[in-house]
Amino acid sequence: MPYKKLLLPLVMLLITTVDCVQAQKNQKVEYKFGKIQPQDFLINASGIDSAASAIKLFDIGNCYFEISPISKSFVYVYERHVRYKILNKNGYNYANYSIGLHKSNSESKEVLEFMNAATYNMVDGVMTTSKIDKDSKFTEEVNKNTVFKKFTLPNVKEGSIIEYKYKIKSDFIFNLPGWSFQSEIPTLWSEYTITIPEYFDYKFNRSGYYEIAHPVHEKVNASYVTNVQSSATRDRYVAENMPALKDEPFISNLDDYRPSIDFELRSTNFPGQFFNDYTGSWPKIVNAILDDDNFGGYLNKGNYAKNNLKTILSLENDSLKNAKRIYKYIKDNLKWNQNYHYYSTETNPKTIFEKKTGNSADLNLALINFLREAKFNAYPVLISTRSNGKHPGYPVISKFDNVIAAVEIGGNVYFLDATAKDMPFGMIHYENLNHEGFLINVNDKSGGWISTETSFGDESMHVYQLTLDKENKLKGTLTNYFNGYAGLTARNAYRNAINEEDYLKNLKKSKNGLELHNFKILNLDSLDERFIESMDVEIEDHVEEAGNLVYFSPLLYEQTKENPLKHEERIFPVDFAHPIMENCRVVVIIPDDYEIDKLPKGGIFKLPENVGSFTISYQTEGKALLIKSIVTISKSTYSPEEYFDLKELFAAIVEKQAEKIVLKKKI
Amino acid sequence: MIKYTLSIMFVICSLFLKGQSTWDIAKIPDDLKKDAIIVIRNEEQFLDIKGVNAAKYDYKITATIFSKAGDDFAVMEEVYDKFSNIYNIKAVLYDAAGNKIKEYKNSDIKDQSLLSDFSIFEDNRVKRLKFVSNTYPYTIEYSFSQDFKGLLYFPQWRDIKDFGMSVEKSSYTIQKDKNYQMKYLSRSGLQVDSTTTAGKTLYKWNSNHVAAVPREPLSIGINNVSSWVTASPNLFEYDGSSGNFDTWKNFGHWIYKLNAGGNNLPDAFKIKIRDLTKNAQSPHEKMAILYRYLQQNTRYVSVQLGIGGFKPVVAEKVATINYGDCKGLSNFMKAMLNEVGIQSHLVMIGNRKPSLNEQYSSIGQANHMILAVPLKNDTTYLECTSSYYPMGFIGYGNANRKVLLITEEGGVLVKTPVYTAEDNYQISKTKITFHNENDIDVLTNTRYGNSQFEDNLRTTLLEPSEQKKKVLEYSTIPIQTFGHYKCEQKDKTKPELEEEIAFKSKPLLSKGGDKLFLLLNQVNRKESVPIKIENRKTFFSVPYAYQDIDEINFELPSGYQVDFIPKDIIIDSEFGTYAATFTFKDGVILYKRAQKMNDKTYPPEKYNEYVDFYKKIVQADKQKAVITKSM
Repeated sequence: MPYKKLLLPLVMLLITTVDCVQAQKNQKVEYKFGKIQPQDFLINASGIDSAASAIKLFDIGNCYFEISPISKSFVYVYERHVRYKILNKNGYNYANYSIGLHKSNSESKEVLEFMNAATYNMVDGVMTTSKIDKDSKFTEEVNKNTVFKKFTLPNVKEGSIIEYKYKIKSDFIFNLPGWSFQSEIPTLWSEYTITIPEYFDYKFNRSGYYEIAHPVHEKVNASYVTNVQSSATRDRYVAENMPALKDEPFISNLDDYRPSIDFELRSTNFPGQFFNDYTGSWPKIVNAILDDDNFGGYLNKGNYAKNNLKTILSLENDSLKNAKRIYKYIKDNLKWNQNYHYYSTETNPKTIFEKKTGNSADLNLALINFLREAKFNAYPVLISTRSNGKHPGYPVISKFDNVIAAVEIGGNVYFLDATAKDMPFGMIHYENLNHEGFLINVNDKSGGWISTETSFGDESMHVYQLTLDKENKLKGTLTNYFNGYAGLTARNAYRNAINEEDYLKNLKKSKNGLELHNFKILNLDSLDERFIESMDVEIEDHVEEAGNLVYFSPLLYEQTKENPLKHEERIFPVDFAHPIMENCRVVVIIPDDYEIDKLPKGGIFKLPENVGSFTISYQTEGKALLIKSIVTISKSTYSPEEYFDLKELFAAIVEKQAEKIVLKKKI
Repeated sequence: MIKYTLSIMFVICSLFLKGQSTWDIAKIPDDLKKDAIIVIRNEEQFLDIKGVNAAKYDYKITATIFSKAGDDFAVMEEVYDKFSNIYNIKAVLYDAAGNKIKEYKNSDIKDQSLLSDFSIFEDNRVKRLKFVSNTYPYTIEYSFSQDFKGLLYFPQWRDIKDFGMSVEKSSYTIQKDKNYQMKYLSRSGLQVDSTTTAGKTLYKWNSNHVAAVPREPLSIGINNVSSWVTASPNLFEYDGSSGNFDTWKNFGHWIYKLNAGGNNLPDAFKIKIRDLTKNAQSPHEKMAILYRYLQQNTRYVSVQLGIGGFKPVVAEKVATINYGDCKGLSNFMKAMLNEVGIQSHLVMIGNRKPSLNEQYSSIGQANHMILAVPLKNDTTYLECTSSYYPMGFIGYGNANRKVLLITEEGGVLVKTPVYTAEDNYQISKTKITFHNENDIDVLTNTRYGNSQFEDNLRTTLLEPSEQKKKVLEYSTIPIQTFGHYKCEQKDKTKPELEEEIAFKSKPLLSKGGDKLFLLLNQVNRKESVPIKIENRKTFFSVPYAYQDIDEINFELPSGYQVDFIPKDIIIDSEFGTYAATFTFKDGVILYKRAQKMNDKTYPPEKYNEYVDFYKKIVQADKQKAVITKSM
């Protein structure tokens, strides 16, 4: 977690500069349903959040256990009481509330036991209460596993106070309900209490950008079964005066920075029963997952692979070539259904090959299964995707949401991901670029964190070879080379087009004044090579005249016109996921009776420690002009401190690339 | 020669030996493959109308998907509700040669709730099945039956449903008792086979061998290219209600009746609004007070259940809960007006849809409700779901179209107000002051009117920090240091926003040797030209008429001189007009630009002219002045 260290000083700064909201500074927060203090109607947001649409006056959660009279086993009870003040009409959406309830295909389910909600308005010094009525409660059966209970409150206006209080009982005790202490509006008080019977041991995962207070950690008496004395552990977490959480561009996942806590079952220990360790430590997690039919079981069923490998493998004893053939075979025969998971949906790869489609685990575990059957050292690597957020680092399985493959060949480790057809051997999808993964060594049932930083960048090169004519048209050739992630993007664009005509239409649409002929592509299917497109071009409307001057921006369609980093401050790291390199060479031959007035100056711009650079140069040889521009962003992530240097680098790119070549017509 | 014959023989033999599956792609004629992502091999719709409140519908489709771009179509998504149960679903996947790859089971089909994005609750559901194939082309096939209990409209039919789709065979058959009254509307020129035997009438529409049309920009749709039928009942029963859709008059009558008794208000509330309006001098002023009350005290919440999709929630209820959908809020406003002696009419309207068809009254053409208040001199239309619109402003989605007034005598077709290009203005004045080459102050004042007011209204609702982000991200002039931003509706009775932006700009003069270039249109540039299309097929239009008038004052730093300034530009066409003028006087460059666009619908053959017009504008917006620094 490098960012945590980096950010700590900044965090302190922010907390102290945020203007606290008036009232209730030191007094104990009172939270009885329906009991509204007149001064609550005077509360307003202030400081950086002064124009917030609503404010959370408090948000109180309580989670504890009891024995279900029906199933006779433990269920958790989750109570929440939240009160908002609506500050303007944008905040009206808080008056619609939705609770999702899950039910499994078996008997297990979640039930909303109780719900109360009301709106309070202060009219001429008198508070009126409007309770939610029965016509304003709805049950949406989303599908057979999910129900939404929906509520909409009456009489909501600017200045209204609204509150919801409800209770859920749930059979799903593997993960207890988590809690977020910060939201898109400011929060005055957020508190979560959790009481866990001695029979259960849960992992507490805290994450986010702000420290959360932990005022209560105590042992309490708790009786769950009549005549059996037992104890429980109670913990309380509190956050006060949280500012609104705001998004920034080039971020992996905003939720990585939201202070929150969640829970995963580590072990159970019931009297008279064996101690049952679910996922208490990494070795436990590794063992459990390798024993699971939808992971280890699936990995080990080698018959289907064995039968097919004969036709896949080449006779020569080139392991890299063979691994590539297996990778290609998997991609050719299985199609990703757009779902991420680390458990396969089936228990045998054979079934997936019959279905021809599956989730990421179905595909990648099948890949590992084939590789292992062919005697490769191939391992699953658990991943938390960028959309899923950063894994907290300690042993929790449910924080992952994907699995990829790692294979060791000739001392090199390659990461493989069979979810996209156009990825070359060793490249993983953008979503997996979350910096690290957890490798499971299937042989000795161990595991450990491994860096998944990619060696592939987003690399493109554009080569223009042009002649300028007297009608100010540029004619010649353009060749584009795409490698790494740029290759994937370019191949995707080509394949997603209806046909080549459609592709060219899109190409022209993005480049004003371009006419093209003789379009050719190379290496569409040779994924280890650069994807190349070449064409004859005629460029209109690019060279301009002013009196006897003729001028143009030499980088043509490749000019970076705007700085992508526009904001004045930065709190979170800038995460591009992978390095970027953009290279452009332009040759222009000018007409005999034109002469070059004066060329712009070239330049080299480098970030400290050479973590990024920009070079531009201009040369002439007779009537030929050569312009070269190279942009290199060497790292995938930059700290907030590096933000300003990076912004300056882009500013230099924008400014220098805008400089014009000026020609004079001889008279 | 021998080789040639042999290969032909071989082809024939292999055909003979293997035979050809029905859905082999080799059977698709070549001209139907051109520009097609999807080929509908066969589609059959059959509607058997059993009576005024029941019908059975059978549907079947087989379609071939040629590339990744067609995957989105490889899905069954059939909507139903408690009045239209779907059953007997069958689905099959074939490979390119037409071999059956997979037959789907009932457990593969998902049953999900379906909500419009503006609703919190509706009773529509969807049966969904996604077909997945790893190779292209592939063919999908599915069929189902649906029983309708109560009929407000019949399923529609259309042969090509989108660009990039061709059709081998498609048909729609409606069977009814010969005395059963119904009507239909179809693309002009489309033939119908109509036969009557043994007391039953059959209508049948066919479409065979229709080539695909590649996607066309700015298109208003493929209605003039595809064959289509929309059919609907006259007499109907639905969710305990019945009526006649034979004329708009009767249609309106049904809605009027549905709403009977819906105009009462609680007594205490009546006193309250009389009190609110007691000092008002005119009906107009009373209406203004009540509309303001509506905007301050209610909010839009959409719930659509059965007949509730057409029948407004009673005003009495809205008065106690203060929320509702477009119908509930319009009706509540109507009840309030009624209480203070002002008559008004509910209006059924196609928001962002075409005008109601004068000749053809059916449900589904309207999707929204507003309120019309006829006062002495003119009629005011009220959009009751907006908390922000000034009274009488209804937005371009409601403007300039035929709508249905719901009156005591039944429905009456009228037209809503028009916003002209001059009404939908953006007028900006910018001052760019160069203290030196790198120290530049920019101040822009802009007024947005009517439709452009509507487009920019969201900005006024953002928090200042978000407004700043937006300015930093979207300013056409690059920002060095942010100054201030204000955007407000100063006069709440007028659909106009006033915006002010101030900041220090990054260097604006781009270098080229010892010359400096100044792009003169810094604020409102058109930069991309739609591409030309040969043989365009569909009509096109501009979403709304508008007029942009921009003016920029460049105050140059001392010691700089202007070597070149472009000549004035005027472009005139039937699509609109454009004028740019450039002057230099006393160290100040004055740039003025005016663009006015019409909102007509244009025939396909005009399109390339439109592109030429646009191209000239893009050229004109790129004009630069050449500046040198005197030594």
